[in-house]
Amino acid sequence: MPTTENDLLLMAKDLRTWFEIKKWGFLHVGHVRAVDGVNFTLDRGESVSLVGESGCGKSSLAKTIMGIHQPTEGELIFEGNTVDSTDEQSMRQYKSEIGFVQQDPYGALPPFMSIQRILEEPMIVNGIKDKEKRLKRIHQVMEELKMTPVEDFLKKYPHMLSGGQQQRIVIARSLVLNPKLIMADEPVSMLDASVRVEILELIKKIQAERELAVIYITHDLSTVRYFSERIWVMYGGKIVEQSPVRDLLKEPAHPYTRALLEAISEPDADNIHNYKKVPPGEPPSLLNPPRGCRFHPRCEHMIEGLCDQEIPPDFQLANNRLTACWLFRDEEEAGDVAI
Amino acid sequence: MANDTKVAANNAEKNKHLEEKTANVLEVQDMYLYFQTGKGIVQAVDKVDFALERGKSMVIVGESGCGKTSLGRAILRLLPENVYKYEGSCLLNGTNIMQYDDERFRKEIRWKRAALVPQSSMNSLNPVLKVSDQVAEPILIHNLADNKEQAREKAAEAFKKVGVPVDFLDRYPFELSGGMRQRVAIATSLVTDPDFIILDEPTSALDMLTQANIMNVLTRLKEEIDISFVLITHDVSTSSEIADMAAIMYAGQIVEFTDAYTFFGPPLHPYSERLMASVPTLEAEDEELGFIPGQPPSLINPPTGCRFAERCEEEFELCSEEPPSFEMEDGRTVKCWLYREGGERNANYGK
Repeated sequence: MPTTENDLLLMAKDLRTWFEIKKWGFLHVGHVRAVDGVNFTLDRGESVSLVGESGCGKSSLAKTIMGIHQPTEGELIFEGNTVDSTDEQSMRQYKSEIGFVQQDPYGALPPFMSIQRILEEPMIVNGIKDKEKRLKRIHQVMEELKMTPVEDFLKKYPHMLSGGQQQRIVIARSLVLNPKLIMADEPVSMLDASVRVEILELIKKIQAERELAVIYITHDLSTVRYFSERIWVMYGGKIVEQSPVRDLLKEPAHPYTRALLEAISEPDADNIHNYKKVPPGEPPSLLNPPRGCRFHPRCEHMIEGLCDQEIPPDFQLANNRLTACWLFRDEEEAGDVAI
Repeated sequence: MANDTKVAANNAEKNKHLEEKTANVLEVQDMYLYFQTGKGIVQAVDKVDFALERGKSMVIVGESGCGKTSLGRAILRLLPENVYKYEGSCLLNGTNIMQYDDERFRKEIRWKRAALVPQSSMNSLNPVLKVSDQVAEPILIHNLADNKEQAREKAAEAFKKVGVPVDFLDRYPFELSGGMRQRVAIATSLVTDPDFIILDEPTSALDMLTQANIMNVLTRLKEEIDISFVLITHDVSTSSEIADMAAIMYAGQIVEFTDAYTFFGPPLHPYSERLMASVPTLEAEDEELGFIPGQPPSLINPPTGCRFAERCEEEFELCSEEPPSFEMEDGRTVKCWLYREGGERNANYGK
């Protein structure tokens, strides 16, 4: 990794978040391995997209990073310090460094609070007692988001705003504590196509201006290119490929990534004559995941005796790419992707 | 008694008319659907015209609140109580079904000739009934089977068509994945063998791979059985998988109606143009995505002229009057003053 200590914002080492399943309240049935051995590094000011299907554990990973779930195993290192989920004081400090942009703005904003109250709330919780100071910050953030005149908005309630404006308020709320990392969980999937791009551009602009790190969670691969430099593809509780976006779109390495790219529709009238190639089967149950590579039951390149037995480690490819697939076990030394 | 048989014979006579294979399976003319609300009258569907050829499929694209779902419901007469104005004509196989009274419409048209897969129908399957009972329900209600066994067989047939294993018949909805539930919902609309099916956002809540699977199912159905789809969606990219024709809706009106080839490369109406520019693609290199500033107008008091005028970059004097639908040489219609003299844009003409 070319990153120096100083650039590194967040690192995960073999992070696991398992949820226990019980029958009748006490009988242990097993664990849902929502996050199962995730490693990554995130630099300051870097924008990364986390892509995966529903049920692959991407929201659990996000919540683990935000400190909502405690990791079962492994550790998170934020600015050089291990995040200690037992220490309440430092957890509060850690959580205030991360802003969260929810998926559904209407559900994320309490309907009985005025916009001003909504934006003040995180600061009250984090002990900023001076009201002047709070208002000053709200004004600053709202102006940054081009929600002017600010006073008009502050008196309003969420239902008086359009979907795009509501989502801006959610973004404003995530920014009032001056976080270093923004976690955006499908921030535009509830919005219309014409507003969508506007919100994405806005997040992009703020990211550049404030040098924020952004983790953008989505299942829509086609918007990723406009937004992030790097991409993490998640499948069955693991990150199967980490790569710069451009390289991944040009030459996907992991067979799952390839399947995802092939499934995307482009607006083209010729599509009507073609069928999409989709791998058979369904994503694995995280309660009882398949042995070896999690994708092997659906993979056309499956190597018998290897893929169905042993979990592939992350193989390093050219351009700082990592992929967890046995197909690349020889190419690591050669350093090129030959598929 | 004699009178009854006469009525039945009469109905059969009329139904025969419905069986007729006209060139257009569906023709909607001057359709209006207004709702009465506390704030005023909402013009959800405002003078909509289109015709769908037999065996072809179309997509109705538009942003939320543009009236596309209302249009689908207006065609099938699935209306709420607060309807203020509901008129126009809707020709199914050449017969105007708008003249039917509600009871006759329910018995002869809805589901039997035209079915609807409503939005998020995969989540509205009854959790305490086996899926086979739910799929067979329309067959039993419309007396298309003599007994339950026969209905079950028909349900199994529909399952095969949409690619659900037949042994799923005895499962409950919670035992199926999202993609399978969506297929079951589509099967429910297929069992009565209708002429066309309206699909309202059939893939919007699904994952990429599942989405591709569902679109494959629809493409295959189109090839195998004589059926037309009316796809209602905001997702231009996925709709390209099955659409032969495209209708672009804005603020209750169809602003452009064209075949898919001309729509995707590129459309004419300024709104469709901007809409297409905001669609992200994988192939394009370093292209900036566009967006449309402002918001669609309120349908309670829409602007009197062109409804897109206030967001349109090419607005000029004429736009304060409502444009008619201009027919182009290649058959598409565009509701924009820029095209009043045919295919070429003459923007500066009126300035």
